[in-house]
Amino acid sequence: MKPKHWANKPLSREAGHRVLQHFTRRHFIRESAMGLGALALGSILPGCLGKKEGNPLGMDFDPAHPMLPRAPHFPGRARSVIFIHMAGAPSQLELFSYKPELAKLDGQDCPPSLLEGKKFAFIRGVPKMLGPQAKFSQHGESGLWLSENLPHLSTVVDDMALLNAVTTDQFNHAPAQLLMQTGTPRQGRPSIGAWVTYGLGTENQNLPGFVVLTSGGNNPDAGKSVWGSGFLPSVYQGVQCRSAGDPVLFIKDPQGMDRDLRRASIDAINKINQQEYEEYKDPEILSRIAQYEMAYKMQISVPGVMDIADEPAYIHEMYGTEPGQSSFANNVLLARKLVEKGVRFIQLFDWGWDTHGDSAGNAVDVGLINKCRKVDKPITALLLDLKQRGLLDETLVVWGSEFGRTPMQENREGKQMPFKGRDHHAEAFSIWMAGGGIKGGLTYGETDEIGYSITSGKTEVYDIQATILNRLGFDHEKLTYPSQGREFRLTDLSGKVIHPILA
Amino acid sequence: MPLARKPLILLLLVVLVTGMSCLLTRSRKVDFNADIRPIFNKKCISCHGGVKQKGGFSVLFREEALANTESGKPAIIPGKPDESELIRRLTIDDPEERMPYKHDALANEEIKLLRRWIQQGAEWGTHWAYLPVEKQRLPAVEDKWIRNDIDAYILHRLHQEHLNPSAEADKATLLRRASLDLTGLPPSEAIANAFLSDNSPAAYDKLLDQLLASPAYGEKWASLWLDLARYADTRGYEADRGRTIWRYRDWVIKAFNEDKSYDRFLLEQFAGDLLPNAGEAEYIATAFHRNTLTNDEGGTENEEFRTAAVIDRVNTSWSAVLGTSFNCVQCHAHPYDPFRHEDYYKFLAFFNNTRDEDTESEYPLWRHYNSADSQRLEKVVKWVRENESEKRAAELRHFLNTWQPAINSLQCDEYVDAALVSSWHAGLRNNGTCRLPNVPLEGATELLFRYGTMRPGGKWTVTLDSLKGPVVASYILPNSKGQWNLGRLKIPAIPGRHHLYFHYYHPGINNKEETGVLFEWFRFTDPFPGKGKPGYEENLASFIALMEAKVETTPVMVENPPSLFRRSFVFERGNWLVPANEVEPDVPSVLNPLPNGRKDRLGLAEWLIDKKNPLTSRTLVNRVWEQLFGTGLAETLEDLGSQGLPPSHPELLDHLAYTLMNDHQWSLKRFLKTLMSSATYRQSSIVLEEGLRRDPLNRFYARGPRIRLSAEQLRDQALAASGLLSSKMYGPSVMPYQPEGIWLSPYNGDKWVMSEGEDQYRRSLYTYWKRTAPYPSMVTFDAGSREVCLPRRIRTNTPLQALTTLNDSAWVVMARSLAANMSKKGGASVRDQLKWGYEHLMFRKLDKAREEALQILYNEALQRFRREPKAGREILGIKETNGKEQPELAALTVVANALLNLDEWLTKN
Repeated sequence: MKPKHWANKPLSREAGHRVLQHFTRRHFIRESAMGLGALALGSILPGCLGKKEGNPLGMDFDPAHPMLPRAPHFPGRARSVIFIHMAGAPSQLELFSYKPELAKLDGQDCPPSLLEGKKFAFIRGVPKMLGPQAKFSQHGESGLWLSENLPHLSTVVDDMALLNAVTTDQFNHAPAQLLMQTGTPRQGRPSIGAWVTYGLGTENQNLPGFVVLTSGGNNPDAGKSVWGSGFLPSVYQGVQCRSAGDPVLFIKDPQGMDRDLRRASIDAINKINQQEYEEYKDPEILSRIAQYEMAYKMQISVPGVMDIADEPAYIHEMYGTEPGQSSFANNVLLARKLVEKGVRFIQLFDWGWDTHGDSAGNAVDVGLINKCRKVDKPITALLLDLKQRGLLDETLVVWGSEFGRTPMQENREGKQMPFKGRDHHAEAFSIWMAGGGIKGGLTYGETDEIGYSITSGKTEVYDIQATILNRLGFDHEKLTYPSQGREFRLTDLSGKVIHPILA
Repeated sequence: MPLARKPLILLLLVVLVTGMSCLLTRSRKVDFNADIRPIFNKKCISCHGGVKQKGGFSVLFREEALANTESGKPAIIPGKPDESELIRRLTIDDPEERMPYKHDALANEEIKLLRRWIQQGAEWGTHWAYLPVEKQRLPAVEDKWIRNDIDAYILHRLHQEHLNPSAEADKATLLRRASLDLTGLPPSEAIANAFLSDNSPAAYDKLLDQLLASPAYGEKWASLWLDLARYADTRGYEADRGRTIWRYRDWVIKAFNEDKSYDRFLLEQFAGDLLPNAGEAEYIATAFHRNTLTNDEGGTENEEFRTAAVIDRVNTSWSAVLGTSFNCVQCHAHPYDPFRHEDYYKFLAFFNNTRDEDTESEYPLWRHYNSADSQRLEKVVKWVRENESEKRAAELRHFLNTWQPAINSLQCDEYVDAALVSSWHAGLRNNGTCRLPNVPLEGATELLFRYGTMRPGGKWTVTLDSLKGPVVASYILPNSKGQWNLGRLKIPAIPGRHHLYFHYYHPGINNKEETGVLFEWFRFTDPFPGKGKPGYEENLASFIALMEAKVETTPVMVENPPSLFRRSFVFERGNWLVPANEVEPDVPSVLNPLPNGRKDRLGLAEWLIDKKNPLTSRTLVNRVWEQLFGTGLAETLEDLGSQGLPPSHPELLDHLAYTLMNDHQWSLKRFLKTLMSSATYRQSSIVLEEGLRRDPLNRFYARGPRIRLSAEQLRDQALAASGLLSSKMYGPSVMPYQPEGIWLSPYNGDKWVMSEGEDQYRRSLYTYWKRTAPYPSMVTFDAGSREVCLPRRIRTNTPLQALTTLNDSAWVVMARSLAANMSKKGGASVRDQLKWGYEHLMFRKLDKAREEALQILYNEALQRFRREPKAGREILGIKETNGKEQPELAALTVVANALLNLDEWLTKN
């Protein structure tokens, strides 16, 4: 089956198409044995699984097919999301936030006014100010400021909206990552990818709707919770794929089992499960049937999609990819392939950005530069590649992290650190977005002359989330799900769409 | 004039009715817990509670709510709603003033409630879970369906919901349900046959007794506790190196099997070391709180991670035993529950005086002697008792068992040409110096120490109070050849506490970077007693041999002696580097007080198991209920506090908690038998239309439980049914088949080396649990990483689970074995073999529809393997053929693989 190519498809038409698909499917499943169960269930459970408050769509929600595409609240501008999270918190002061005044203060004691009543993860006593460890210049027609650490990205600034005044209230990695990805610093809430697939379903029923790829040698500090489904049905949790070895564990049939035989065995399993459903009427059985179908489809589609070897040489050159390796670049290329195949939400985590200055690898003038070299080219390639395929308009790319870094040099335990590093800074950091209905060549939000506090355009983590949902066609206050006796939403009780960056 | 009179009558009626309703509502007292707290928690507390107290106003505690706010006056004036700023701000029009700020106004009903509540005196109420557990009055309901008290509570509620209970499940279903619940395994053939052929009314009772007596019972229930105890075989953090602590896992299994009462179970785990005559078993029990993480990473601050472990002990105690998420109190007062910031640190103080200090060796460790050495130890102890005193004998015994108390070398400071190497051990270079601060010498005359050097002839000098101070000891260190050696030195008796300064000199070391010697620990004591008496030499030799014996060890809790007492402080905003007020051990005042005033871990343990503790019994009852029924009576096992969900059957929960303590004397086996004897438990799990409509989640129990089995149950069940399961119990963890590339820890050379023989097929709780990379199929089926206490596993249903049971080689091996048995035991015809396979798994007859589905699959597989014999051999895992192909067995294997994937098999019906 040739994968659908989504380029240039008018979104309104697509939304109409989805509704149509929905009804056609209903018509189709009425004929099938499985559909009978699902339909019966729909009529039995109006209050639970059908039209309910927590269902954003106000239409039947079919537990046997929870991933079918659904229309959002209003026509969205983005069809899918690639969220690139640099776990560990890169320094905005060496990448995006141009602070010439900070250079003048380099080596001086931090003024007490910045320290009073503040808590830091590691800074103790009076630290020294640390000037920017990279040169900045203006780029593109928009004249956006970017540092020399990102030479490739500098060529595509006119597609990016750079948010320089993002703020969070968590200064440790795991809670801050959870806040960014799930809207709360504690474990147990659905991740943004789970919310989105819950709200929109996914275009390609042969692939997971929400795929997670990690690089940098470690999972994010907060563990798998950052792509969990929390209280949402578990089908919406992110599926972790690997760019080396089996793309998904146990995706291959046992030796000696071919596809036909696997089909026959899943048919037998599901036929008996259907029989069991007739006896027990437990909706969970329908869910199991759906999961076995999904597993079968994943076995067909995942290995192909996850293989980048057949990409042309110029693409490998562009991204800096090496097939068979485990790398951030490979993950970025995979993200593009997944978007092409209709995967709704792709979450990339790259670990190793925690530049405290406790070693050369964690120094803002050594390790950070090395990390930038590994991500600058592939991320730029992603934007260019999506653009040349006509996909950038409907793919929202978000680059960010859990917090930023201090304008002071870290002085762990009050001692001079062996290398130049910065402590965690929750008050102000940078994130950028591109494509998917985001205005390019724009800087939004400002911090003071040393990048410590926000002076304008303050952007909360919830605002980022609200904006992502908005671009997908959701009112973030209405995408809710009932749990523990109340309606929960990703943005909790906050969140404002950042209108100035919308195209 | 009827037209004119009508409105008047209407008006009168309206006045009358509203008046009456006012009277009625006025007379009813507002229930703080039911009516007011939910409003506060939902609408107010995020700005006016534990974390934030905007405007100086908080609704967390009564005295805070009634106190003066920033405006200088209180916001709530009891008895005077109209003068209360709270009401004014809720009702005012100005959006800048109206609360909740920038959110929708409160509903009129809510404001009325608040008014009335203030009018009635603004009383606070205690949340249900913090009230004492009391004897309950049985609901007045009679029905022949009722088998025991539980059913009365359930039926009473079902009637309120207009629901009826379901019929009893058929025997086969009950058999499988009970067996999986009690042993985590399908029933043995003998037990199954006995039950299914016994039609007497006592058959079910006998079944429960047999299952409860099975050693598999302890293995099943240990899994639950090991999640709570965050038991794992590695230390966690970056390098995640191995840890030998499996004897604790075995202790838990044995405790369940011997039905150790839950109060004793807790007592030993929390404070076994402090019990009179504590021996090996009591110490192993305390490993419960040594399942904390240890950070071996170079450059880390040991005190930081010691503190992190202590904090984890607090959080785990609350999560596991008290069903309360106490974590938030670490940084601020609990935003919703009546726990104050300093309560956390008072509680922490109970745990802050153990000897563990995040050392690389994970001291303190219990030393497990073999039986010959144990006898020797008894002889040595006897010698000391007879030649010195009972007290000294106990001290020496303790030392031989634990090497404690000793001072770890990581306490050293003032390093010059010396360093805390890898943040593990004090190491000195040539002419290097360092200080061991604040040592309680207290007249000790012997120094025992553990050191390592590759260089013979290095001189170690210890001086008092300064580098130039009097020499305490001077010693040429023998070459330990890269191993750890124990040294013994005579020192002069010096009273009091002193700083000791170390100097190391080696004439042969020219390299300034070379570390000449490493020290591990120091113990200041007195010489072995009885010098000069006959037998002295022999006993001293035994003592030294035991001290140096290479033995297996288990991390345990050992309390600091008074001389090493650690003070405890509140940490500002949870930051261990910012200590504030000093605190003493105590428990939150909202709960029962310490029962006997004892303010140490033993006192704490006694407080936990005090019948007045409102949380311990409720938490256990709720957990056990969840294991059987799939959902707790209070769904949020992890939080019975006001943020958790209220229980569906509060009276039943309390009834069970009360009877667990008072009737069953904390016996879990008796408690389980009561639960499982109820008609509620014995119901069929068929979902009836009415039940589905009125109660889709089965929160009122109008039907039996229907839940996907746990990760352990799934694998164990399949191993058992395929005939592979090893019945071997206990011992070091094993490594069954696992795909390549799962273990990826930096700075760690450990490898997954597949176990041999029956160790591949042990029950899942014996599988090696690496925290950063747990066994994949366990994680896929919702087990945790065991880094911290996991108070509840959330069941998921994903395609990855299907892929695991369909394709994981471990599962294919089980399918092969099951197929071989189907072929061997099922009979000659394929039909009989299919029937045998299904009935062997499900204990019920294979019906037509199912048989047809299996037969079609079999035929298709057979055709394929006849066509392609190589594929058949691959399915069977046979490399070479000896001319004989077995396409039938290969086809059966495909069927067996399908059987092991049926929903009814993966589920407890």
